[in-house]
Amino acid sequence: MTTRRKTAKKTKAAKKTTKKTTKKSTKKTTKSTKKAAKSRPSARRSPRAALAVATSSKESSPRRVAALQEVPLAVCENDENLNSLLNILRDRNEPIKVRLAALQSIQAASFSVIAFESCRPDYLAALREIVDDPDPELRQRVLGILARENDSYVQQRLLDGLQNPAKALVPPEKALQLLSYDVHAESYSVARDIVDNPPNPDAKREALRILAADPNSAPVFEKLLTDKDENREVRQISAAALQSMKPRRFQERARQMLLDKDEYDDIQATALTALTQFGDQKEVGQDQELMKQVDKLGKGKSAKVKKTARRFLMRYKA
Amino acid sequence: MSINPGRSEDQFRSLVESLIDDPNQHAELIKLLGEDHAIYDQRGTATVNRMRGWLLLAFARKQLPQAALPFVLEELDTGVDAYLVAAAAAALRTYPERNQAFAPFVVRAISNIRYRDENVSLQVYGGFAIGVAGTSPVRELLETLVWLGPSALAVVPDLTTLRDGPPALSKKYQPHVAQALEAIGVVASVEDDCCQLPESVRGFFSSLRENRTSTKQLDSTVFEDQDGTSLTFGEFFQGRPSIVAFFYTRCDNPLKCSLTITKLARIQELLRTEGIADQINTAGITYDPGFDLPERIKNYGRHRGVKFAPQHRLLRAPEGVDSLRKHFKLGVNFIESLVNRHRIEVYLLDREGQVAASFERIQWNESDVVGRARELLMEYENRNASGVTRSSITSPVLGSTVALALALFPKCPLCWAAYMSFFGIAGLGSIPYSPWLQPILAILLLVNLASIWFRARSTGRMTPFYLASVGAVALIASKVFAGLDPLGTAGVICTLAGSIWSAIAATNRRQLARQ
Repeated sequence: MTTRRKTAKKTKAAKKTTKKTTKKSTKKTTKSTKKAAKSRPSARRSPRAALAVATSSKESSPRRVAALQEVPLAVCENDENLNSLLNILRDRNEPIKVRLAALQSIQAASFSVIAFESCRPDYLAALREIVDDPDPELRQRVLGILARENDSYVQQRLLDGLQNPAKALVPPEKALQLLSYDVHAESYSVARDIVDNPPNPDAKREALRILAADPNSAPVFEKLLTDKDENREVRQISAAALQSMKPRRFQERARQMLLDKDEYDDIQATALTALTQFGDQKEVGQDQELMKQVDKLGKGKSAKVKKTARRFLMRYKA
Repeated sequence: MSINPGRSEDQFRSLVESLIDDPNQHAELIKLLGEDHAIYDQRGTATVNRMRGWLLLAFARKQLPQAALPFVLEELDTGVDAYLVAAAAAALRTYPERNQAFAPFVVRAISNIRYRDENVSLQVYGGFAIGVAGTSPVRELLETLVWLGPSALAVVPDLTTLRDGPPALSKKYQPHVAQALEAIGVVASVEDDCCQLPESVRGFFSSLRENRTSTKQLDSTVFEDQDGTSLTFGEFFQGRPSIVAFFYTRCDNPLKCSLTITKLARIQELLRTEGIADQINTAGITYDPGFDLPERIKNYGRHRGVKFAPQHRLLRAPEGVDSLRKHFKLGVNFIESLVNRHRIEVYLLDREGQVAASFERIQWNESDVVGRARELLMEYENRNASGVTRSSITSPVLGSTVALALALFPKCPLCWAAYMSFFGIAGLGSIPYSPWLQPILAILLLVNLASIWFRARSTGRMTPFYLASVGAVALIASKVFAGLDPLGTAGVICTLAGSIWSAIAATNRRQLARQ
């Protein structure tokens, strides 16, 4: 009994101490929470309260942005929630930071495919409505989302912009990048025109990346690959494209480039890497002239070429 | 009326609007639904979808004819484009008959499209909904179930799942689901022919080719298989029946090429289980040989369970796509070298490589295809067997002739003279008496007896053999012992009866086996 009483006293004392500590820490936390609430989202706020803050034009932009970060799980709970966020997104008079936060919030909700099922149609329709938005960041993000959905409306708008720069929604290189998400996006002929007459080097590179999946463009890549005056990055893209479409033709070209004493180091390194990975074991391994040349390259000055030559020899001499 | 394939989309839209108003031109509109129509050549997938969607919507504004029904059902079965599926659902509601077989297609379409659902406008060419206006494929499909009413009874369990989950349709569609269930109502029983399409429509999806076309135009076509081995059409497809599916690795519809090759792998498994994998070839041929290099098709097949063997390959025809398109009448079109639209198509080739049957548009059942292939295999066995049938018919004739010849064979030159005089021929000196002929006829009689014995063993009916044996013994006895000529006649009759009986028993057995 005595032991029990002692234990009970100890427990009471411990509880008192805990209460005091909790009160103190709660007071401290409340103070710090009040301070933090001004800048960061409250963990205790209900989604409804957060939405109320997010949609209120009387609140400051940072508070609205913070509130919007809390709502993704509530976006598709009912039509009202979704519509209130879509209204923010569409409203050009809303601060851009708030609109971007609304977009981010709905996008986060869309990752839960099943829960988002009911929101998807109105969301996509609203995005199509703002592809012409004056804010470039919002426009580009919206175009990116729709392009990843293989949305043919956006694909058509991007193609129109590439053919007629006055209608362009984004720079040509970005438009090409967005079109490259869908192999069926009717972009080959436009990409070919851009390769022939590029508005800038980035656009040319993006156009080549699209054409890398077009077997009819293999001769274009072969020509670019063997043209020593061409930009080195373009030649490397061409090497990868030709290897993917016409591996035997690439092997022949890579051999020529390795035997060419005037060829650039990085191009030779690319050729060596490609042959090491994808070359025909029998054909390359029995090519004495090529093996001798790679031996020489392995003893050369360029560290990159030396390294790739070593790997090449390891594969074919083994 | 010939339609200029180079029309712009605006011109196409006007053309469709003018054709739909004239019922005499509906056949032209139906022709435009063929994937291989020249009007789709060198157009992108999105353009083709807009054009086909507009065609379906044109029918939706009037009445869907039976000839266009397979295209609508195909879209419901495997479509993943929101505008096309919504247009197909709307078009189906204008079909003159509410068939119970439509309901499973509609429910399948809901499953296929629900997570790709989006707002579309069926009043506008191309149908993009901007803002929140318009309808959606799921809404159109649910409306079609309401239209089907009691004819959708078979899908009540599916609708109940869509209502109660998991996974239930979203709240905004629940009133439509409830409406569909209400429209179906409670029907006492489901009719036996519940989910059978009309015979005329079924013929569009799977057909037997009565007139098999020659493979001459394919003779020069060289294929390359998944290992890069070259072989001609004849080398692979002639000598055995084949199951051929078409696909391409860049197909982005998971319900088409990817599923087709997965099913081809399943077919291989079924053939192995039945022990006929070495008697029937399977092949997947790519529409896109420029991109689908050996390594690519090998990985594509391997990831979908295809087991490669000399009789089972994935093929590309680097230079022969056009001749393949002509020979198989493939439902495919291209923009440059890239497929812009294709139907599902699987063919059964006979031993000469000619198309004997096809399964098109909607996803096929692996067992049905294997069943048809087995029939094709039997066709050859039966053809070989029909050779046996001819011999089995000639056999009793031969046996009886031999028996008759033996019975009537003259024993001496005088008998020959009697025969000759009987036929009114003079000149004894020129009579060719051949005593060696008698043992030959006896040997032939024994050969006939042996063939009857073999047949009797396979049919399990020994009586014809016993009868023919008695006949043979009687015939030989009539020749060996003098004065037993009537026994010879009885022998001829017994041999004849035994031979005919045996042949009939064998024919009956073959027919039973075929059934």
